[in-house]
Amino acid sequence: MSLEALSRLVEEGEAEEAGAAAKTLLSDGQDPLGMIECMTRTMARVGDQFARLEIFLPEIMLAGEALSAVVAEMAPYLEKAGGQRIRGKIVLGVVKGDLHEIGKNIVKLILETNGFQVEDLGYNVDALAFVKAAEAMGADIIGASSLMTTTMPRQKEIIDILKEMGIRDRYKVIIGGAPTSRLWADKIGADLYCPDARSTPDLIAELLK
Amino acid sequence: MAKQMLIDATMGRRTPTAPWVPYAGVNGAYLIQEKADRYFQDPALLARGVVEAARTYRADGIPLLFDLSVEAESVGCGLEYWEDNVPSVRTHPCDGQTPEAAGLRLPEKSSGRWPVIFAAAEIAKPRLDEMDCAMLGLVTGPLTLASHLAGVRIFTAVKKDPDFAHAVVRFAGEIGGRAAAFYAEMGCDIIAIVDPVASQIRPETFREFVTPNCAASVRAIHAGGCASSFFICGDCTKVVEEVCSVGTHAFAVDEQMNLNFIRDIARKHGKGFGGNLKLTLALSLGLISPREDALISLAAGGNEGYTFAPG
Repeated sequence: MSLEALSRLVEEGEAEEAGAAAKTLLSDGQDPLGMIECMTRTMARVGDQFARLEIFLPEIMLAGEALSAVVAEMAPYLEKAGGQRIRGKIVLGVVKGDLHEIGKNIVKLILETNGFQVEDLGYNVDALAFVKAAEAMGADIIGASSLMTTTMPRQKEIIDILKEMGIRDRYKVIIGGAPTSRLWADKIGADLYCPDARSTPDLIAELLK
Repeated sequence: MAKQMLIDATMGRRTPTAPWVPYAGVNGAYLIQEKADRYFQDPALLARGVVEAARTYRADGIPLLFDLSVEAESVGCGLEYWEDNVPSVRTHPCDGQTPEAAGLRLPEKSSGRWPVIFAAAEIAKPRLDEMDCAMLGLVTGPLTLASHLAGVRIFTAVKKDPDFAHAVVRFAGEIGGRAAAFYAEMGCDIIAIVDPVASQIRPETFREFVTPNCAASVRAIHAGGCASSFFICGDCTKVVEEVCSVGTHAFAVDEQMNLNFIRDIARKHGKGFGGNLKLTLALSLGLISPREDALISLAAGGNEGYTFAPG
């Protein structure tokens, strides 16, 4: 078993086999940080294929499930190794009235494999709950997803609440979701529009510089 | 307003100008200053909102309602209603079991909100006829309805558990056939199968799961003497040829697609086509000029089989 073979299993969405392979590799002395780097490259490749319409939602969801299985095996080893360097803390969720969380879940996985600490608030999240969670976590970033034109205004509500509370400067607010755009992000005063999961870690890292 | 012109465009025919369909859904509630949760459950309000939308936007056709939770609710999915949005599907009876194992039955006219919709159609139809405005029925497409029945696992099941996926999508297709027959009975002039998530799968998956499970709806629509269409959302580049094979007279896309590309595909297959006005960027948010967007769409769409509509 090699990291390349593990990478192939994740790309092919074989969760059970990928988890077992990760377990074997780690017990054989594989460096968990090296495994994270490998998985980051793998998911970047998967994200690129998705963006080019070479793979579709079923394939990217299965790859995400396989990645989750690998991450679950890595967790105890990472803790033992003193943990991964945290590049930023993010509260992430889908806005109130919107139950579409497939994209958000993929973003979460990709952020975690890229060294970000993510608190997943789930879906149908009230604007104030985003802010409260960010305060409690000491987050750097609030990430809000929306998949419907009718729920996009909820992203703006988060920014409005931060302004009302006088803490707008404390957090970067990032948005994403199919109907959103850079134009929308600019209009509501968000700090960043994330067009896809693949590019999100790099865009956030740039934003936090 | 020109109902026949819209039917002609849907059938792929040349029309004097492009007919106009604003897909006003929950916006109907806003127009009559009602909360959406009441609106979607009250036939009088629903009819008033639809007629008001047709009048306000001077529509050639208008959907009776645009709510993809109706079929799901009528077979046992739990919904959450909102004051300012369409209902959301909360529970999925086929999460982990087939429709048969879950004991699901095809809907009757008395199931779920169908009585509300029948009653709304009875009020709205003559008023829309007076305005020469077509009434559209929108049927939830098989893959989208399957995702309501089984939750998001349906998307991985099409690869990992195809027998289960077939059972759920097949049942969804049968429900669609019932829904299409209901809309035909209500007097809808045009009935569309709306399957927004069908762009998110491979063409071969579309052929295997979506195409055969649209057949019951298409049969019911055409048996009812109605024009038919298939609505899809997102980047449907890879499956648009498949969309042309489901057997409907027309198809419609959203704002992500290039209308020149869509027009050429539609004409190659002798289909009507529509949608694509920038619903989010122009009409909803005003981030780009709705007027210029409209002019570009009209120029690209032309007047052969084209319906001017948001996507």
